[in-house]
Amino acid sequence: MRGVFAIYRREMAGLFFGPLAWAVLALAFCLNGYLFVLYLKSQAGDVDVAVRLALGESWAFWMLLILVPPLLTMRMISEESRSGILEFLLTAPISDAAVVTGKFLAATSFMAILWASVFLYAAVTASLGVSVDPGVLIGGYTGAVLASALFTAVGLLASSLTNTPVLSAFAAVLANLAIVIAPLLSNLADDPVVRRAIRHIDVIDHHSNSFLLGVFDTAYALFFVAWTALVLFLTVRALETRRWA
Amino acid sequence: MISVSHLTRTFGDFTALDDVSFEIAKGEVVGFLGPNGAGKTTTLRILAGYLPATSGTARVAGFDVLRDSIEVRRRIGYLPESVPLYREHRVIEMLEFQARLHGMSRADTRRRVGEVLQQVGLTDRSRDLVGHLSRGLRQRAGLAVALLPDPEVLILDEPTSGLDPLQRIEVRALVRELATKHTVILSSHILPEIEATCPRVVILHEGRLVADGTPDQLVRAHSEISHVRLEAVLGADAPNAAKFLRAIAGVREVVDRGRLGIHHQFDIVCDEDLREDVGALAAARKWALRELSWRRPTLEQLFSRIAIGGSAVTAAHPPGSSAGTADPATTAGTASVPLHVSLPLSSAAPQPGKSAPAKIVYNLNPFDQGATRHLGTPKAVEGQTPSAAEQRARESGGE
Repeated sequence: MRGVFAIYRREMAGLFFGPLAWAVLALAFCLNGYLFVLYLKSQAGDVDVAVRLALGESWAFWMLLILVPPLLTMRMISEESRSGILEFLLTAPISDAAVVTGKFLAATSFMAILWASVFLYAAVTASLGVSVDPGVLIGGYTGAVLASALFTAVGLLASSLTNTPVLSAFAAVLANLAIVIAPLLSNLADDPVVRRAIRHIDVIDHHSNSFLLGVFDTAYALFFVAWTALVLFLTVRALETRRWA
Repeated sequence: MISVSHLTRTFGDFTALDDVSFEIAKGEVVGFLGPNGAGKTTTLRILAGYLPATSGTARVAGFDVLRDSIEVRRRIGYLPESVPLYREHRVIEMLEFQARLHGMSRADTRRRVGEVLQQVGLTDRSRDLVGHLSRGLRQRAGLAVALLPDPEVLILDEPTSGLDPLQRIEVRALVRELATKHTVILSSHILPEIEATCPRVVILHEGRLVADGTPDQLVRAHSEISHVRLEAVLGADAPNAAKFLRAIAGVREVVDRGRLGIHHQFDIVCDEDLREDVGALAAARKWALRELSWRRPTLEQLFSRIAIGGSAVTAAHPPGSSAGTADPATTAGTASVPLHVSLPLSSAAPQPGKSAPAKIVYNLNPFDQGATRHLGTPKAVEGQTPSAAEQRARESGGE
């Protein structure tokens, strides 16, 4: 996987050279900070629960996960394809997989930065005398980053399928929404087998029943890793079909 | 260095490349010529490892472009027509990015960045944002990026498209300079471009390779032999003129095209432009010259003939030559395709040692006297305008 780091660096620079990343970060930090205070208030000062809410048990968390990654990834492939830069990357002596991986890691790193604000909240509450359970904090953060990775990969796949960034963002948002909402529909199914099957692909469930409890279960981690890898694989294939089309 | 055999590429029903084969040796500079949509870009993209071929093989430095794609890409500097550079980066950052993609060491990078910036003349603009560069400078930046890893093969797709004439000259000079160290393939639909830079030309048309060779070879293989056309009043020399002409060094053959009124017409077949020698002879023998022109099919005519399908003009032909003397092909050509206006090659022929009274130079260069001049009429020099009757005759002769 030579060249991954080169692509990664370039994409990070690309993200932070533009205004979009800063605007998204600023908004997300403000929102998260405000919500954290609200959570603290509503939970009568229970910081563990507040961190859990900030990192997965609230709708705000999932809304950010649905909306932010597509914004980051929408330009990564579709716009480069349009401007011809993709031709430059695909004729550089690195594999298609390296291009996709580099971009994916950059977008995921950005999400990791976005969620990292919880460490600040934890530091603040600790300085005020109440420290967060480190298991919940680190587990929740890891889970959030892993979930972000999956959504980022979906965004990249959407970006690789179209040459219009806005269209790719829209498609990615819809796909992300479907990923989050589909398991909720399992309640509508009568068949217990279908229910169990759907629960196996429930992203929210895999996040909140493991990482948010401060438990690191490799099976749950693998759930995210495997799905992310699958989507990335599809992205590489989609990129390859561009050569044939 | 590059060997391509039976390359075919289809996009759906459309065949972009149809059974194209060629070889390019190390150090060659080859120009791909063809109208838009002829398959130039497709060929270059296949060589650069961007597009796979539908069938056929292409090898660069012994590596198959499909199987050992990475090895091939390592050896190729490819500059697509769109000059893909990140607009938000500085030139130097773009170069460093390219260096990382090629896995160059830090020391190598520093050395090569300095070298290529020097080479393309961007040393003082290296800190500029790519997005702020003009089209010509961006082209050079793109070239610098392609050159950075010191590739064995340089593939440039339309390197001069969108540039102004001065920038074109610069890029051309740059390409010529690069040709000394690299194998260079470039494409263009601008003929003078290719003629000026490439010793070897590959002409593509509708996906097929229709010609391959040096411009000279192509011109010779695909057209009648070049010659000097002489039309003059010979006076007493008439019977011996052909003998005199044949005596000039370099003349291969003299074709007597007969007598037209008081003028005799000869085609002096030769490989080089012998107008001066013929002119000197004419002056010495006191022949009254009416026409002395160097007729040689240009690559452009060759190209348009291929592209249009054989109906193009065959030789540069000033419209002032006498009616009835033009050979049938030329007449047919001028009648069906009025291309002669764009062919300034032999029209501005100097007429050394001329003693005839009418001093008329046929100049079809539209830039010569501004765009207002009627291009069909001859331009008078030294204040002498051709008489009305003469001019009428010439005009009717040209049409």
